Amino acid sequence: MSALIWGAVLLPLLLPLLVVLQLPARGLRLVLPWLPVPALVLALSYEAPWALHLPYLLLGASWGLDDVRQLMLLAASLLWLCAGLYASAYIRAEGLRRYSALWGLTLAGNLGLILSLDLASFYTFFALMTFAGYGLVIHDRTKEALWAGKVYLVMAIVGEMAVLSGLLLASHQAGSLQLASLPEAVAGAENGLWIFALLLVGFGVKAGLPLLHFWLPLAHPVAPTPASAVLSGAMIKGGLLGWVLVLPLGLPGYTGLGQALVVLGALGSLGGAALGLLQQRPKTVLAYSSISQMGLMTLLVGSAIAAPHQASLIVPVIALYALHHGLAKGALFLAVGLKWPDSGWPRWLGWGLVMLPGLALAGLPFTSGAAAKTAMKGVLQPDQLGFGLAHLLPALMAAGAMATTLLILRYLVCLRDTITTGYNTGAILAGWGGLTFISLLLFWWLPWPQVGELASLARLGSLKDAWGLTWPLLAAGAVAWPWLRRLRSGPQPGSHTP
Amino acid sequence: MSFASALPLLTLMTSLVAALVIFMLPEQRQGLRTLLNLTAAVVKLGLVAIMVAGVFRGEDYSISYTLLPGVEFILRADALSVMFAGLSAVLWLFTTIYAVGYLEGAPNRSRFFGFFSLCVASTMGIALAGNLFTFLLFYEMLTLSTYPLVVHRGTRKAVRAGNSYLAYTLTGGVVLLLGVAWLHTLFGDLPFAATGHFQQVDPALHGTLALIFLILITGLAVKSAIFPLHGWLPTAMVAPAPVSALLHAVAVVKAGAFGIVRVVYDIYGIEFAYALGVLEPLGWLAAFTILYGSVRALSQTDLKRRLAFSTVSQVSYIVLGVTLFGPIGTIGGLVHLLHQGVMKITLFFCAGNYAETLGVHRIDELDGAGRRMPLTSIAFTLGAFGMMGAPPLAGFVTKWMLGSGALASGMLWVIPVLVASTLLNAAYFLPILYRLWFATPKGWSQERRWGRLETHSWLLWPPLLTAALTVLLGILASAPFSPLSWAELVAAREYLP
Repeated sequence: MSALIWGAVLLPLLLPLLVVLQLPARGLRLVLPWLPVPALVLALSYEAPWALHLPYLLLGASWGLDDVRQLMLLAASLLWLCAGLYASAYIRAEGLRRYSALWGLTLAGNLGLILSLDLASFYTFFALMTFAGYGLVIHDRTKEALWAGKVYLVMAIVGEMAVLSGLLLASHQAGSLQLASLPEAVAGAENGLWIFALLLVGFGVKAGLPLLHFWLPLAHPVAPTPASAVLSGAMIKGGLLGWVLVLPLGLPGYTGLGQALVVLGALGSLGGAALGLLQQRPKTVLAYSSISQMGLMTLLVGSAIAAPHQASLIVPVIALYALHHGLAKGALFLAVGLKWPDSGWPRWLGWGLVMLPGLALAGLPFTSGAAAKTAMKGVLQPDQLGFGLAHLLPALMAAGAMATTLLILRYLVCLRDTITTGYNTGAILAGWGGLTFISLLLFWWLPWPQVGELASLARLGSLKDAWGLTWPLLAAGAVAWPWLRRLRSGPQPGSHTP
Repeated sequence: MSFASALPLLTLMTSLVAALVIFMLPEQRQGLRTLLNLTAAVVKLGLVAIMVAGVFRGEDYSISYTLLPGVEFILRADALSVMFAGLSAVLWLFTTIYAVGYLEGAPNRSRFFGFFSLCVASTMGIALAGNLFTFLLFYEMLTLSTYPLVVHRGTRKAVRAGNSYLAYTLTGGVVLLLGVAWLHTLFGDLPFAATGHFQQVDPALHGTLALIFLILITGLAVKSAIFPLHGWLPTAMVAPAPVSALLHAVAVVKAGAFGIVRVVYDIYGIEFAYALGVLEPLGWLAAFTILYGSVRALSQTDLKRRLAFSTVSQVSYIVLGVTLFGPIGTIGGLVHLLHQGVMKITLFFCAGNYAETLGVHRIDELDGAGRRMPLTSIAFTLGAFGMMGAPPLAGFVTKWMLGSGALASGMLWVIPVLVASTLLNAAYFLPILYRLWFATPKGWSQERRWGRLETHSWLLWPPLLTAALTVLLGILASAPFSPLSWAELVAAREYLP
């Protein structure tokens, strides 16, 4: 295990090293996809929580894995693996060296923060991911990308400062550098409200919390497509994980703030979708969809704070939802860079495969989304939660599913306007196809049911459940009928509508 | 005299003897001079390593000699002095290598390296001084031996900078002398001793002691470039790059900061200084200097001047740490004594490389330099991120310790200062990094080439090694004998009576 965890963190750092050692471009392309493999093996071979203590490292580090982290690690390593395959063929020779170096560094940060049990390691990897990620965002160096990068960086640094202050205060209160000791310290601190706010805002920048999200729809679309996929699928989850690890989930005393977070989550969920519907470009639509989906996860975090007795049920669902969203959103992003067959059944098959992860996000039965949504409904029962706003949640979730469906249709319409015909290289097809396959099918074989109650929560119990999931999709489909028609009789591939 | 008690003296003598021999060598004996320089640096490093191991085991190396009745010359190695001596010995080796490469073919090298070694000897003396008198002696010797280095190029600008440097530091020296003499008339000879001397002092003397504290700190504040006495530092940037590296990272500013550490901890004693109420105003001044230096750095267009104002800011981190009453703050301040040195010397080495290789002095000329000089630019990037306090680099360890120390002593206002300083550091370092790595090269008119490597190999290795050290000091911060562990050792000895 300890060899694997070292491999998971250090192997990605091999790539920047190879860049410095002047490995030729072909070699870089060969190495780039396989960096997350040890992390994937680590996630798949997980059985029970364990920790590795590294007393000489940083301020005395410990790394390890537990139930929540396993799901996060699984999502991240699968997504980075597929996006890496895609990137190895997608990135042009010019700038490949810099891209590879930054890819490795960002990946190391992303995987490392998941594996960190102490706050110095966590903050280290978090910062590494943020700063190296800047280079991925501005890779194309267009005016737009540079502006997006500037907004990203300024907001990220301000966020990091909030995180640092919050962690300093919390660890002073806790008298320990272990992440696990922080929630109780925040809950028990005299200035707990401050610490809570700092950590909420600090990680909220990364997680795209409403009003802290401005960088996200700018930065995610301008990055090269595989980088967009990992930004939107995996890296924003770093903020979510930060919340889950350090905020007082499951501890009494913050019902009000928890409910505020629920409101913010709802706002992000519906507001993000509404803004996304107004966008023209498929990647921007997807970026807003990420804000919307993160809103749902924010809502879950808020519920776990407002209803502490339910937290132990809610937290695994957050991780499950993050896993589902990461894979599906990654597949949707990767689809943007595909070349399309001329006509006929391969084209229809293509549309089907592009559409399915999107509908999964909306909760289509028998997809990963259905599992995640059912699990979510299971833990967000108003009578179980018992806080004031809880009775609004079922309606909110139905509205969210409708909004997501509309957003996905919008994405398909925008995508159709931009696609070009041609052939894809094998690596691109494998990256996108693999991720789509994983998000649709492999999901069911992934070892998440071992996370206690999830298995029963995630299976469709009855026809009523299936109907509960399906009607928002159908309703949204009805609303979007004019669009769907336009999709069928729309402009020819490659042309743009004004 | 046993070998053990002679160690501090031997350490001092290696540089002193090297200086004398180098002065006597003819200008063209370049090979011999380099050999001599490096041998002295390596021998000194070895001697300091022996002392570090000894002090860790609890041994005491000291030697004293009575100059006049009541005035003693004391050299002594305690935990604090070997910390500073260790920093000097390590960085001196790198700077010597760098300087040899930098000055290749330049005139007056004999004079340069002579004073260079004299400067090391003074710094060693400052580190190993066992009382205020000995400290003052070497403190003044440092002033005099660095002056020829600052004016080395002999241009009018250099001479003007040198004069300003001399005016500032000699005045500071006189003020310090006044404080030392006053203290001497009241208490006689005061050797540096952990936890200080004044716990049992007559309360009637408290006012006088506070005044003397003010005088001593004012004298020391000149070299440590605390606002408003920092003016000489950016001007002295006309000196050759190895000299700037040395002034900023090790010798001059650190001598001032180290002096403040000695006065607070080993003359007054941290607990007494706290009770006297002199720490908090000093802390405010340090905090102000931290922000002031960063704000001034923002508007500098010359790379070395920007780094100079950054030094003004960063050295005050040390002073701030000293004034945070509590062991964690002490650790933060002391550890930065080393961390700032390693990071800042990296940045100055790199600035020198850009100047020597590409003819670049201004920040806007650095566009695309990362592609032309990737290794130097990686080193610069690590140094800059370290300065910003980004983890896992050395600067992060400092910032974390200072933050924790401030919270432990209830000084919550320090946190916003640290945050603001980090933001300012990001604002003046990140644009440089952007130019290095992402901007399109515009070409350099005075570019020079050295075969296969991006620059002269003697110029390339020192920044690479110090950059690696910047990473290692952060990543392995908790390993035995790391600066952090050593600072913890010092703090434990300063607080436990």
